[in-house]
Amino acid sequence: MIMTVLAYLAFALYFCLIIGGGLMAVFCSNLVRALVGLIATLLGVAGMYLLMQSPFLAFMQILIYVGAVCVIIFFALMMTAGGNENEDGTPIPLGKYARSFLAAIMPLSVLLPVIFLHPVDSADSPVATPLAELGRGLTEDFVLPFELISIILLIAMAGAVFLAWERRNK
Amino acid sequence: MEILSFWTIVQLVLALVAILIFISGNAIILVWMERKIAGYIQRRPGPVEVGPEGILQCVADAVKLLSKQILKPTHADSLLYWLGPILIFFAVPLIFMVIPFSPFFTAYEVDLGILLILAFSGINVLSVLVAGWSSNNKYSLYGAARSVSMSVSFEIPLLLAVLAIAFQTGTLNLSTIVAKQGGWPWQWNIFVQPLAFFIYFVCAMAETNRAPFDLGESESELTAGFHTEYSGMGFALFFLAEYANMVVVCCVATALFLGGWNGPFLDGFWWFLAKAYGLLIVMMWIRWTYPRMRFDMILNLNWKWLLPLGALNLLGTAFVLKLIETPCIKEFLEGWGIL
Repeated sequence: MIMTVLAYLAFALYFCLIIGGGLMAVFCSNLVRALVGLIATLLGVAGMYLLMQSPFLAFMQILIYVGAVCVIIFFALMMTAGGNENEDGTPIPLGKYARSFLAAIMPLSVLLPVIFLHPVDSADSPVATPLAELGRGLTEDFVLPFELISIILLIAMAGAVFLAWERRNK
Repeated sequence: MEILSFWTIVQLVLALVAILIFISGNAIILVWMERKIAGYIQRRPGPVEVGPEGILQCVADAVKLLSKQILKPTHADSLLYWLGPILIFFAVPLIFMVIPFSPFFTAYEVDLGILLILAFSGINVLSVLVAGWSSNNKYSLYGAARSVSMSVSFEIPLLLAVLAIAFQTGTLNLSTIVAKQGGWPWQWNIFVQPLAFFIYFVCAMAETNRAPFDLGESESELTAGFHTEYSGMGFALFFLAEYANMVVVCCVATALFLGGWNGPFLDGFWWFLAKAYGLLIVMMWIRWTYPRMRFDMILNLNWKWLLPLGALNLLGTAFVLKLIETPCIKEFLEGWGIL
């Protein structure tokens, strides 16, 4: 009983983190604060993974997204930040709001039909998958997508090195 | 869902309280140790006035820090400025929860213990950035930028070294890794994986921002680096987190490489603490022996030496593991009594 209550509390907390962080990321005019909002959202999602009995995903989410990706974004912002976009106080044209709204609902327009046309049978209570089984899945059943993702990452890395190299030689 | 009973929660709360007491008491002892070791290395007595051998000096310092006024620079981003020290400290107790001091003194057994530690220690980097950026001071910003670019790159060989042990033992559970090692030094993982231990230890020193890798707070150039603007408890939290993180990396090294709670006789948490404190003394010894390295030297050390060595070590581990699994070689080794 007490565990159910605690689980609901945790769910509420993570939910607030995700929504609050997302709103902060969208509405903060200061880029660094917006990034902190994004980090809160990612932490909330990691918490949701924990509730869904997948601690491995949760820790990976924190390790990679919070510990590495966000740090790199932060770094880039710090090195480039030229202040806020709307510093001189001119009102943002309405068209811009409309376009950002369109961009925001784009993923929904793709995801919603999928969710409604192919509803997933969700389990009553989540079942933990052992790590060994996960690894076997990645290296046996889903080895092709796994390798393809690795290739995409490798290409991205090579591209980044190439770009940096060009600059350095000038 | 896995059912946690009411008593598990009570146990967790008790463990949390014990850990918080341990962290703060430990910081006082470590600061005193650091001052004494620095003193002996530099041929001076260190603190002697307050209490026997100056051990109460740190208590006096703690009281001073507690009673100091907390200041915030003008134009500093107040939300992020206060978030920095809180963020750096909040993950520390959680990390201590999964460290297996002994089979009995493990606050919470997690199958992915080592992964949890690695994931949550990544938040450190973030809080250094947040603190450095929000202080609105160029020295803080420089310190944060340096320390973060160093931490982010040293994290990779560290992970590779840890992965080598995970490959070898086939688990990410710290207690299982410890249980698979024996009491005598030649039964420890360091005997099989000396290179991984070396890489881990160097990277751990860089991750905790300790000299010779303390670029984030190089006093002679950047006043105090990312925590220049913090006073009172704001600074104290950074300080506490640094010492707590030192203990964490030494505890993880003990569990992964030095046999954890196993000793030649009378296994128990005393062996664990003795080994961890031995490593801490080595860390202090190194700090007061080597000068601070230049920034490009540190990054070259990482990208040109530690990373390739770590990758080779990992490949070698995987290769040897596959090799001794093949039937004919396994038979041969068993015949000689090696396996």
